[in-house]
This record gives sequence, C-alpha cells and structure tokens, in this order.
Amino acid sequence: MEERERSVAEILIGRLSDDNVPDQVAALILDAMHGNAPEAGVEKGEPAAAPGRVYLKSIAVEGFRGIGRKATLFLTPGPGLTVVTGRNGSGKSSFAEAAELALTGENKRWAERSAVWKEGWRNLHAPDPTAISVQLTEDGVPGTTTVTRAWAANAVLESANDSVWTGATELSLAAKGWLRPLELYRPFLSYAELGALVSGKPTSMHDAMQAILGLDLLTATEKTLTEARRTADGESKAAKQELPALLAKLAAHPDDRARLARKALEGKPWDLATLQALAVGDGAAIDERIGLLRQITAITLPAAQDVSTAVTRLSAARSAVAALAGTRAADARRLAGLLSAALEHQRAHVGEPCPVCGGRSLDEAWAVAAATSVEELTAQAAGADAAHTEQAAALRALTEMVPPKPAVLRADFGEEVDPAAASAAWDAWHVSASAETFDTLLDAVTLLQGVAAQAIRKRAEAWQPVAAHLAVWVQLAVKEQAATVLAKDLNKAVEWLRAVAKEVRNERLVPFARTSAEVWETLRQESNVELGPITLAGAGPMRKVTLDVTIAGVPGAALSVMSQGELHALGLALFLPRATAADSPFGFVVIDDPVQAMDPAKVDGLARVLSSVALSRQVIVFTHDDRLPAALRQLQLPATVLAVTRRERSIVTIRPVSNPVKRYLEEAQVLAKTDALSEGVRAVAVAGLCRGAIEAACVDVVRARFLGAGVPHAEVERLLDRASHSVQEMVALALFGDTRQAGDVPRRLKELGGQACMNAFWDAKTGVHDPRHGDLGRFISDTERLTKALRQ
Amino acid sequence: MSGTVSGTGSVTPEELLSAADQLLTGPVPGIGALWPRICALLIRLALEMTLDRFWTRALPAAVGCGMRQQLLLLPLYTTDLPTAPGLAREAWLGLAGAAHHHAYELGPTAAELRTWHTEVTALASLLSA
Repeated sequence: MEERERSVAEILIGRLSDDNVPDQVAALILDAMHGNAPEAGVEKGEPAAAPGRVYLKSIAVEGFRGIGRKATLFLTPGPGLTVVTGRNGSGKSSFAEAAELALTGENKRWAERSAVWKEGWRNLHAPDPTAISVQLTEDGVPGTTTVTRAWAANAVLESANDSVWTGATELSLAAKGWLRPLELYRPFLSYAELGALVSGKPTSMHDAMQAILGLDLLTATEKTLTEARRTADGESKAAKQELPALLAKLAAHPDDRARLARKALEGKPWDLATLQALAVGDGAAIDERIGLLRQITAITLPAAQDVSTAVTRLSAARSAVAALAGTRAADARRLAGLLSAALEHQRAHVGEPCPVCGGRSLDEAWAVAAATSVEELTAQAAGADAAHTEQAAALRALTEMVPPKPAVLRADFGEEVDPAAASAAWDAWHVSASAETFDTLLDAVTLLQGVAAQAIRKRAEAWQPVAAHLAVWVQLAVKEQAATVLAKDLNKAVEWLRAVAKEVRNERLVPFARTSAEVWETLRQESNVELGPITLAGAGPMRKVTLDVTIAGVPGAALSVMSQGELHALGLALFLPRATAADSPFGFVVIDDPVQAMDPAKVDGLARVLSSVALSRQVIVFTHDDRLPAALRQLQLPATVLAVTRRERSIVTIRPVSNPVKRYLEEAQVLAKTDALSEGVRAVAVAGLCRGAIEAACVDVVRARFLGAGVPHAEVERLLDRASHSVQEMVALALFGDTRQAGDVPRRLKELGGQACMNAFWDAKTGVHDPRHGDLGRFISDTERLTKALRQ
Repeated sequence: MSGTVSGTGSVTPEELLSAADQLLTGPVPGIGALWPRICALLIRLALEMTLDRFWTRALPAAVGCGMRQQLLLLPLYTTDLPTAPGLAREAWLGLAGAAHHHAYELGPTAAELRTWHTEVTALASLLSA
C-alpha cells in the first residue's frame, strides 16, 4: 500500500455526505460510530500524525499472569526474528499479553471471556506489586519510550495507572498518535484470534477477519445500529401484540365505554385521543347511561319541613272558605246595593210606602235597620273574597315547591334501575299535591337515587381495571408510533452502512490478497489447497468470509475441508500483510503461538515466512514447542531464540538459546573438529566463521547504539553496509561509532579484553587469507571473549 | 575484503573449492545440517582468495580494497578475459547473501551452491592462467 489508508471513520463520514443520506439517518450512524470509537476522533475524521517507526526494546512484567517476581524480556530493536520458546505455563504468553495490554489496553485473548477468566490476571504467588511495561525505540527520537500500566493492590484490571514516558517527557499514547495505528495495524496476533477464524461460527469468523483488517469500527457500528433496530422493532410491535388481550377484555365488558374503545381500535391509525380520554375520564361525557344515572342522582326535592308548612297554610285557607259555607258574597253585595238605593229613596220620601212591595211605610226606624244591614252585608262579601284568594295562593305555593317530573324518569334502564315507582309518585303528586303524595314521592325518589348511585359505583369499579389496561396500552401505542419511525430510519442506516461496508471491506482486502497469496504459497507446503480471492460477504446474521479455495484442483471447496493447521496458516496469511503494512508506524509484530496446529512441513513454511518478514520487521514469536526453532536451525535461518522457564513461585527466567554470534561460534567449533576436511581448509573456514561472529556482534552493538540514539533505521543499515567490507571498520563502528577510528581498534580491544582479544581479532581479520595452523579451539574461545567484550 | 598479502599461501582456492565440492556431493561426518552454510562460506573464501591472488600479481594496491571496489576494477584488468568480471559479480551476489551476517534470507539450496561453485571454479581457472 503506497498511500496512507484512510481510516474507516474518514471513509464513512465522506460517504455520508456524498451519498446524501437523510439527516436523521446520518445522525443515527454517526451516533453509533461515535459510541464505538470515542477516541478515534470521529467528528474530525482527521488522521493521526504519522510517527517514526517503532521497535520493541523490552517487555517487563511483574506480578501479572504467570509471572511473579519482575522478569524482563530484552529484545534487539530493529528488524530480525526473535523466537521466545517455553513450555506451556512457562510464562512466555504473559509477555505477549502484557505487551498487547500495555499498548492497546486490552487483550484479544481475554476480550470475549467471562469475568471468571479475567480474574486470573494477577499472579497467584506475587499479586502485589502488579505492573507491566514496554520499552520502545522510535525512529528519529533519542532515548526510549516506556509505556507502563501498574495496578494498586486491590484495583481491577480496567483501573490501571497508565503512564507513557519518552526520556523525561510524559505523553499519552493518544498524544503520540499511536492509538489509531494500534487499532488499524494491530501488530499483535494471538492464538485465540487465529482460532476464531476456525472454530467459531461463520459470523465470528467474519468478525475476526474484519478485526484483522482493522474494520472493527464497521462491525461495531453495524452491531449498535442493528441492536437499536431490534429494540425499535420490539417497541413497534408491543402494542400490536398486546391488542388481542385488550380487545377480549373490552368485548367482555358491558360498559358503553368498552364499545367506544373497540370502535376507536377498529380503524388504522388508532384513535389514540379517544382511547386516552376513555382511559382517564369518569366516562360521563362518553357513556349515555352514566349521564342518565348521574341525572337521577342530581334530582333535588324541597325539604319535608318546607312542604309541611305549605300544606298547613293550604288547609287553613280551606277551613276559612268552608266556614263561609251558605253565604254568598255576590248576593250580599247585590242586597247591600239594593238597600243602599232604597235608603236614598227613603230620604226623599220619608214615610211613604215601599215602592217595591207597596206595603210597609219606609220610616226612620226602617232606615236605621236598613243602614245596619248594608254595613253587615258589605263586610260579609269582603271576607268571602279574602278566604278564596288565600286558598288559591296557598295551593299555588305548594305545587310550585316540586319541579315538573324530570324526563330521565321516563328513560329505560333495563334491569339496572327501575324509575317507574318514582315516576308514578311524581304524577300522583301533580294530581294531588299533599303531604301524603309528597312523602310517597320523596320516598320513591330517595330509593331510586340510592339504586342509581350504586349502579354508578358498580360501573366505575368494573371499568377501573379496563381503564388501567387501556392507559398502559395507549402508552405502548404512543411509543410504537415513535418506534416505527425510528425503526424505518435505523433500517435505512443499516442498509446504507452494509452497502458501504461491503465496498470498503473488499477494497481493503485487495492489497492484502496479493501478499496473503504469497504468504500462503510459502506456508502451504504440501497442502493441496490453493487460495484465490478473499471476500467478506453477506450481512447481519448471514455475514461470512468467502475464500475462493481450490483443493486438489477442485474449485469452490468449503473451508471445512481444510485442516486446523491450514486454517491457522490462512489466518496468518491474512494477518501478516496488515500488521506489516508499509505505512504502519510499528516496526514490530508480536505473534503468540502460531505453530500449535501446524504440521512439520507447514512449520518450515512458517519459519521461511517469518524470516522473510523479519528482513524488514522486528518479528517476535512466542511458541510453546521447539518445532519452530528447530525448523529455523534446519533451514539455517537467522533468529534469536530465547527460552523462558518458570520455576516454583512463578520465578521466570529467560536465556538466549542461540543468536547469530553464538551460531557462528558453534559452527566454528563443529568445523574445527571435522577431520574430513583438510587442516588448511578448516583453518580458513574457522577464521571466516570467527570473522562472521565478530561482525554479527558488531551489528548488534551498532544497531542498539544508533537506534537508541534516535538514528533512523535505514541510516543505521547504511552505516553497517558501508563498514561491512572491513571487519576492522565494523569493530570501529561498534566501539567508537565511527569507522574513521579504525586505527584505534587493536589498542582499544586490548584495553577491553586483553591480548587474547586482540589476537583473536587479528586472526579473524587475516586468517581467511593467511590461515594460522595453531589451536583452533583457543582461537574460537578468544573470539567468543572478544564478542562479549564488544557487547559490554 | 580486508586481508594481508598472502605470504605463506598454504591453502589454495582450489583446495577450498575441492572441500566445498566434497560437502556438495556427499555427507561429511561431523558437519551435519551445517553443510550448506559452510559450503557457501568455503566458496566465498575461495572467491576472495582468487581475487587476492590475482591482485597480488596485477595490482597490489587493490588487495586491501572492499569487494565492491575490486569488482569495479576487475574489468579494467581483465580485458583479455571478458567473461571473468561477470562470473565474479554473479558469484559474489549470491555468496554475500548466503554467508554474510546481513543475510536474513533462506538457506542456499544445493543447486544455488553448485552454480556459485561452478562460477568461482571457472573464475579461479581464468585468473590463474
């Protein structure tokens, strides 16, 4: 890959605006992305600054996993292969896990395990102090960078005290710009990850592959969105699912409200406003029957006391009228008029006989008697009038005390309430308003109101649970409306993301596919499996990895036909191209136990692959058996092999098994004893190997010295290359850091290791051309002393 | 390559090539799996020694020079042997990789060793004439 890869976040944000994704859908995607990559600068979408290439210098572990007392794994910064071997439980994997945990804050092997698994992270024998630290060298940065995670005595795994120091400067991993590259290039590969490709479901294989390709963000975002969609889907169905139960309850309910509620539920969309009113109101406004019952309870009659007073007044008036029985007010008034006229006539004709009857003469005595009669008759007429007026008034007053019969008494309530008695009593009252008819009416109405109130209460009691159910359901239905809209948007979001993800994925796969194919070609050895294009296909629960695999010439074969070892090899073929991508700032690759399931032929392939990666990268491989070192020895591939052993109480020690210097010396020793070759040939060859040992030691010293001082790796290799034509210049570079001081080499060697060292140097330098037939064994041991002196 | 003028000369390039041939043709007791690297080393030393001897006669000043300088000089002093510089360059390219500490390459195969052996043998024969 020549160009720096755009991060997944950058690609997605770019596409969101290019594709005109609706705002609310884009917001959902960004939210989901942001939740999954809080540190990745999602909003800005800006790449981290490219740091210089980084190599591992040491991994120190204390009180962590299988390691008790502090143990440090020293590594040579710079390209080269280091194999760390150790039996199961030796603590070697603890170094790999510590390096990964220190730099990434997580460990893939544990990431998906239960809490119980995670509890074993403290060392049993020495749980306190617990600390892990990784020392790194960076191109162009003098000194080393130390990344430390330390835990207080009772702290949990997640609450470590982290610190990152470069010399005396403290900078976080984020500030160093390492977080994103660690996510992108993932220079750590554990056996568990290789295994996930194999033993897992097709989906987890897909996800592991995505992880290897650095597409975690895509998977995580999609997962967040699909989970949100599932929740929204559930909410958008909850009301529908609950509907049959509600309808059954409503159908069983006699209340008119139940009928209205069912009606409100018939149409789509549901009439939620009505349903809400039905759920919370008292029902009077909606249910006619309840209104009528409430009318009954609202009937008011006058107080019996007031009615009784009015009745008494009426009977008094009637008695007064009765007392006037036989007297007629009109007659009395007319007679009084006649007498008054006769009296007037008499005053003009005193003593004359009565003009009406012609009998008695109308004298003074008659006049007096007649005047008295007029007075009496007039009073009699006035009394009779008053008694009748009072009787009429009293009667009116009494009738007006009770209102006309309410219409509600004519309504039909079925068996619930029977207003007939009250109605009849009311009619009877109207026919004859009396204390008796009023009492009958009052009794009938009071009884009716009692029954009506009871009916209302019963209805309320019966409706209450239905109303509660209805209220809950209405809430569900309201949520459902929102959820339905959300679910649609989420669906769009998921569809869009999947489409884009598919492109990004397969695009990202292209540059790797070629390298993968090359790695596979080396790894496959005797396997008859051929690897074609790799694609990540499907979506959601159907997502899977599609490898175009040809087995024994038969195309389209299933992965299940491949052996575990083949699948692991395949996993490695997919991992290596990414971890060693040209633009990764990390010059190292840490691989934990890639050998396990491989057959010997494949281990040979692995040795070749790792060696070729080690040409340009620092490759650190942890392995629990010696097949890989054996393969390296057999194939004569250069590697530093370290053995980790764990004694009682988790005391871990590390010793080098062989390094290039040692190997040259071992080879020299073998050759010195080979009688089959002539003495002269042996002498020349031993000198050549001793020279090789000295030069290898110089390379180690020069690399450590210059890389540690911040000299870029390419520059160090150039210096070594320029000095390589002369062993004296190599030693000068190692001793003084300057080939121009080559002349001081013998003197300095004598100071460092005495005459023997200087002799070994001269013999190695000249012996290949002018062999000395002396003691080759001593020559070799002197050379060994020299290489040690150089590395002091 | 560095080195001093060969004074005693008790080992010849031919001897080294013969030993290399011995390693190539059959198992040598005691060498075991080391043989390809030892073989490569012997051929390489034979090449260095061949050139040293040539320069001792043709241009003594070139004896102490690095191999790259020697390979640059060689065509100028072997105008009558036009194939010699090519042989030297080809052989050195492979041998420097196979036997040198810089070589993080795969171990040499027998076929590769045989090719280099043939090239250096031819060169030694040309230059000693």
